Amino acid sequence: MLKKYKKVIPEPKVAPAPVAPATKVDRTIIGDQIFIEGIIRGKEDLLIEGSVKGSIEMKANHLTVGSKGQVNAEVNAANVTIGGKLVGNVNATGRVEITKEADFNGEIKAKSISVEDGAYLKAVIELEREPMKKFAHPEKQAEKTEEKPASVPAKESSMPAGMDNKRI
Amino acid sequence: MAASAADLGRKDLPTGPGYEAYTSNALKLFAEHLERNSQGNLLDIGPVCQENIQFFAHRVKKHHVCDMFIRLDARLRKGEPVRQIWQELDYPIESFHGILVWELADRLNDEDVHELVRVCHSILMPGGMAVIMVMGDQISSTETRSFVIGQDYRVQLRPQPHLNLPLRGRQNRDVLSMMSPFVPAKSFICRPGFMEFLFQRV
Repeated sequence: MLKKYKKVIPEPKVAPAPVAPATKVDRTIIGDQIFIEGIIRGKEDLLIEGSVKGSIEMKANHLTVGSKGQVNAEVNAANVTIGGKLVGNVNATGRVEITKEADFNGEIKAKSISVEDGAYLKAVIELEREPMKKFAHPEKQAEKTEEKPASVPAKESSMPAGMDNKRI
Repeated sequence: MAASAADLGRKDLPTGPGYEAYTSNALKLFAEHLERNSQGNLLDIGPVCQENIQFFAHRVKKHHVCDMFIRLDARLRKGEPVRQIWQELDYPIESFHGILVWELADRLNDEDVHELVRVCHSILMPGGMAVIMVMGDQISSTETRSFVIGQDYRVQLRPQPHLNLPLRGRQNRDVLSMMSPFVPAKSFICRPGFMEFLFQRV
């Protein structure tokens, strides 16, 4: 008996889709030999490795002050990363990141912030305040802890093991 | 019972002797004091700490951070006199509802402690509170550490290897004496062996 074979129609060869180019980073770099004084306004991300004095307005974009950057400016940006020296006030609608290489002096208003240990900081930080979570106060620990005014002199005694706090 | 860093869900924090997490009653009282004022102003002069900034962000209106530890370290490394660092605390008088001094006093000589106390007394509001820690004699390491505040006032110590500061090892009576312009409110001995003090300006 003859078997019926289904005619296989080769699928038309589809030309391979062009490989998408690597995501283009729309970022302007101010190099370390550049000094700018005035107002910078922009709609793309900015990396500053040089010196800038004045103000920086890029409300929808990310400003990075690189490790060689020296900025003395009022900053309005979506997100800000500080890895160099920045003196001035930062107003960010999103996040401010401060690395351990940073030297910052000024005010920060932001939705959130991250700071690495070792950052050289003198700042006023004002974060967007969400309704505060009600933390469960450690009543149990408080019950265990006796308190007395600190004016009572301490007794030289060893602490019982397993006790978190003890009055002096 | 002391919790480990794992209990706190923070894997970056060390464990072991001297690093046991503990519940800080001084910080709890301090935070409650700040929460009473929705426009509260806090000054933190301790090592910069991300977690503590987050912790207090919802408790005060403005959180001032001026890391005096790193400034002290920079001075000492250069062999420069420490006394000029107090210029950094150039805030208007009676600015703050609270100051976190941490263990800075235990890293200073008597003359500089006197100046620190004078400045803190000046910039703290009447009724404002200051938190001070001293390491006591049960702590063997002179390593500088930050006090990382977690949920329910659980505190974990985190080493600050970039800071190399001397430790004076002050005792209870030394602290009460040096803080004489303030009224002592509470004090506690904490599990890792150091002491926490809460002082109030009248």
